[in-house]
Amino acid sequence: MKPFTRPELRPALYLEEEQKLWREMLAGDVTAYEQLIDRTYDLLFHYGTKFNSDRELIKDCIQDVFLGVWEKKDALNSEIPPKPYLLASLRRRLHRLASRLRMDCMDYYNETDIVFDLEFSAEYQLIESENDSLLASRMTEMLNELPKRQKEAIFLRFYNDMEREEIALVMDIQPQSVSNLLQEAFKFIKSHWKAIVSLVLALPF
Amino acid sequence: MDRYRDFSLGEFVWDKSFRNWVLNPTREDDETWQNWLDAHPDKREIVERARQLVLSIRPANASLSNPEKRKAVERIVERLEARNLDRSEEGHAPWYAGRVVRIAAMLVLLAGFGWLFWLRHQQPKVIGYDQLVAAAKVEMREVVNTTAQPLPVDLEDGSRIVLDPGSRMSYPAHFNGTPRGGGKREVFLSGKAFFDIAKDPARPFFVYANELVTKVLGTSFTVRSFANEQEVSVAVKTGKVAVFSREDPDATDKQISRELTGMVIEPNQQVVLVRKTVKITKSLVPEPEVVAEAGAAPHFEFDETPVSAVFSALQSAYGIDIIYDKNVMDECPITATLTEMSLYEKLDLICKAVDASYKSIDGRIVVEGKGCRNN
Repeated sequence: MKPFTRPELRPALYLEEEQKLWREMLAGDVTAYEQLIDRTYDLLFHYGTKFNSDRELIKDCIQDVFLGVWEKKDALNSEIPPKPYLLASLRRRLHRLASRLRMDCMDYYNETDIVFDLEFSAEYQLIESENDSLLASRMTEMLNELPKRQKEAIFLRFYNDMEREEIALVMDIQPQSVSNLLQEAFKFIKSHWKAIVSLVLALPF
Repeated sequence: MDRYRDFSLGEFVWDKSFRNWVLNPTREDDETWQNWLDAHPDKREIVERARQLVLSIRPANASLSNPEKRKAVERIVERLEARNLDRSEEGHAPWYAGRVVRIAAMLVLLAGFGWLFWLRHQQPKVIGYDQLVAAAKVEMREVVNTTAQPLPVDLEDGSRIVLDPGSRMSYPAHFNGTPRGGGKREVFLSGKAFFDIAKDPARPFFVYANELVTKVLGTSFTVRSFANEQEVSVAVKTGKVAVFSREDPDATDKQISRELTGMVIEPNQQVVLVRKTVKITKSLVPEPEVVAEAGAAPHFEFDETPVSAVFSALQSAYGIDIIYDKNVMDECPITATLTEMSLYEKLDLICKAVDASYKSIDGRIVVEGKGCRNN
């Protein structure tokens, strides 16, 4: 077995800390503001690149999101979780930008044209067994076959540790719709998992 | 934690707590899982495989290097500070945030809106005969018909005007310009008159009747414009005239133009201007007359004639557009003698015969019917 490479441990109060930064920032603390940006920037950037491949445009949008937050800080609720709020603002901003660009081109595109587009990939050097590498590659293919909205829900839930209500806020849909998306994704994953596993080896599910 | 004892590889991979421990472990998570593994050493292998799968399958993220991120974050904070600085430099508040300035601005805005509102809702100016005559620059003659009979007035250019009782008209002693030499012929009317205007395309003839201006090149028509009536109307007998409102922003251009622009009306059509709203509508005169040249007097006797041919005969006789579906109406033959009937009586009869109906829309007649394939 490879040495157990473990990511850095987070302090237990990681999420609470984020909430604390958010509260302090809303109270006008610039240091908390900067820390909050620093902590959420990667997530926002990566999420943004799923909608648009223009890195500079995404950075500009994130900047607008944060400047907007500061501008509105007196009106914002200090108890809402900051991450979903920031992701939702970024998503809205990207949508608005896209529809403005669409109007400029005087071209008609569907609203669904601005979609979350995510590729999963597998890093095989992290896997010891060859069978599991094969399994990982099959799983990756399967995940990439998921419909885009299901992918987005999976991404937020399983890679960003978000709850149903938070995903609903980010994706601007009903919590029930989030449940439906996740359920469908799981039905798909489970049904394929069996086939994959039996194909790769007689591995127990 | 007991539920994990029978977890398969796949179940571990998609378990949220498990993933959290793998991807973003907290100290507490880690302790819990390590303790569980110590208690279940047989699970170590499957847990480790699941962990590797979770770690290896990730969304492909665009790379964002630390310096790049740092720069972006700093830029946001700088921008924020620059904004804050702008504000504090101007003292406590910018000049426009002061209470007095705000109230003043509000008052100015209100006054502006009030003015706009007043402009919009102001009654259109009602223009009368007296003002028009007073505004004329040349010496005027006035005829007033105080008799009970129509009064003919002959103008120097050969035009004849028949003035109805109770009406008056002003016209210049001499029209400016010469025949074919340019200029305008202008008269002012209050009341009702029939105009038979001598042709002179170089000198258009204008009738100013309250708010309505009628421009003709040579034709005959009736203008009705009594000061005490709500409507002004012009009905054409022969030729074409152009009518426009004095309020029309392009009125000057339309007067100057050698062509007939504005609302052009043709024989048997009329326009009515509602004085209060300055709204002009076009319609047919109440009793359209045959306009065809004398000598070619049309006869309206039809024998098994397709109804479409009947319509086209009426159309050329009255000079009125009749709109119908030729394909449908071709199938309907009628036999009828329609002489000695008014246009509307004729239309009533025809439509009854072929089970159609007609409407007068915008100075034209529109016939609708299903045809008579089954007749």
